[in-house]
Amino acid sequence: MTSQTNAPASIPNRAPLSQRLAALVHSIIGSRYFLYTLSIAIFLSIWDLAAVNKVLGNFLPRPVEVLIQLWSLNAEPLASKTLFEHLWASIYRVLIGWAIGVIVAVPLGVFMGLNPYVKAVVKPVFDLLKPMPPISWISLSILWFGLGEESKVFIIAIGSFVPCILNSYNGIRLIDPALYDAARMLGASRRQEILEVGFFASAPAIFAGLQISLSIAWSCVLAAELVGSRSGMGFIIILGMNQSAPALIIAGMVVIAVTACLISVLMERLENIICPWKRELPQ
Amino acid sequence: MGGSGRPPTSLASCGRPDILKDTAMTANSTAEGRLLKFIPYMSVAAFFIGWQLIVSLGMVPKMLLAAPLDVLWLFIDKLTQAHPDGALLYVHVLVSLQEAVLGYLLALAIGIPLGLLMGWFHTVEGFARPIFEMIRPIPAVAWIPLTIFWFGIGLSGKVFIIWLSGIVPCVINSFVGVTLTNPTSIQMARTYGASKWRIFRTICIPSALPMVFGALQMALAACWTTLVAAELIAANTGLGFLITMGRRLTMPDMVVLGMILVGLTGFIIGVIIDAVEKKLLAGIRR
Repeated sequence: MTSQTNAPASIPNRAPLSQRLAALVHSIIGSRYFLYTLSIAIFLSIWDLAAVNKVLGNFLPRPVEVLIQLWSLNAEPLASKTLFEHLWASIYRVLIGWAIGVIVAVPLGVFMGLNPYVKAVVKPVFDLLKPMPPISWISLSILWFGLGEESKVFIIAIGSFVPCILNSYNGIRLIDPALYDAARMLGASRRQEILEVGFFASAPAIFAGLQISLSIAWSCVLAAELVGSRSGMGFIIILGMNQSAPALIIAGMVVIAVTACLISVLMERLENIICPWKRELPQ
Repeated sequence: MGGSGRPPTSLASCGRPDILKDTAMTANSTAEGRLLKFIPYMSVAAFFIGWQLIVSLGMVPKMLLAAPLDVLWLFIDKLTQAHPDGALLYVHVLVSLQEAVLGYLLALAIGIPLGLLMGWFHTVEGFARPIFEMIRPIPAVAWIPLTIFWFGIGLSGKVFIIWLSGIVPCVINSFVGVTLTNPTSIQMARTYGASKWRIFRTICIPSALPMVFGALQMALAACWTTLVAAELIAANTGLGFLITMGRRLTMPDMVVLGMILVGLTGFIIGVIIDAVEKKLLAGIRR
């Protein structure tokens, strides 16, 4: 705790000991990290108390039971797969579906931004399909592709499609016209304008679209797995539901949350590497 | 960071409200301008005609995809017939709307004050933030099994899930809105001796309003998506249930009808919120 060491320095040395102690205590209590720790401790103890007193019937496990469940998931396979194999099954689906969505949507969005004819053809149809939540496609995709991998990949691709296309389109469309003017004044051709100005100026917005679509893809895969599958994190929590094992459900949710966190941290790191010139779009 | 309907990814990198509205296609009187005005209608028409032809020419089996006309007939039928899913169409819509609106309003009522207070008072932030950060990364969909245990498959369970998904953008946007308050205004108020609470009430809240209103649309999108997910898994009425029943009965026209109604209803609520927002915020933004 940095505040613990820093705070007394700001107090004159001549102050009486009791006053200095009071200031020290005050600085610890006022410190953000102390509050964070306290808050988590209170949260966990309320959870534990609620579980012990069976506030929610038998359906709230104690935090300790969740930890034990997590450990045993790791040790003994569930439906012939260990925890990491289930996690990998979900991530694998996300990666394939997301890649398909991105490969189709980003060029389409970019062309919509560059060419008014492409925009006139694609945008009205896209606007018709956009308001339907990706999850509402689940039934149709099960009718089309069955309960196998294809239907899940399809849902994820649909889910990642919308933010990708929107962000690529807006990213290209909202480039500061002054940048184009400057390039044109220096004698750039249309091709150079697109490749050397448009590409770099829109990269941050496009990358933001990739980030959003990846987090949407992660919740789509869970929904698809909840509806029907034999592996994956969604399968683990629905199994917990069918076996009336709330500890299994919460253990699955913990793994899901940690994965989502890791994904977003990873994407932020990647963003700093790939487009370090990122700036906020003009508001 | 642009893009409309962008779900915020973190407290730090949260998008401003969607003010990147599409400018109307400039209608100049040149041939090119006329063509560009005309193409969108053709494109939509081609989409529907192509869809109809694919099905009626038998290129896609009727078991897999319903033609737009079939969907239209089913829509007219369902207005007066409860068969085969057990409820009239307007009942499904009303049930879904009721769940979504309840969850949405609760999310606003709790999320916005919480976010505003978190942005200004360090103690509130210190207590609420760790818990919020623990819950935020869990997709609302993953709460469904636990919620069924806790609340059953009735109204309260769905409202809980929708509330969970709607509260996240509310808290984040109100929080960021307060932290983005111009520090000069705060310092000036302090110089004139305003109390902490008064600065919060008269400076921070008004300056956070545009961000808060941005959250209204984001929360709506999140709530509406989650509603469908909740109804897909556990329900006996509602639009999501209509979609699921369509699949169970292998009636693709019912699935498509449900999807269209979900899209349409969400779109209409979005337009209403947009209009309210414009009216309330006239003059504040830009």
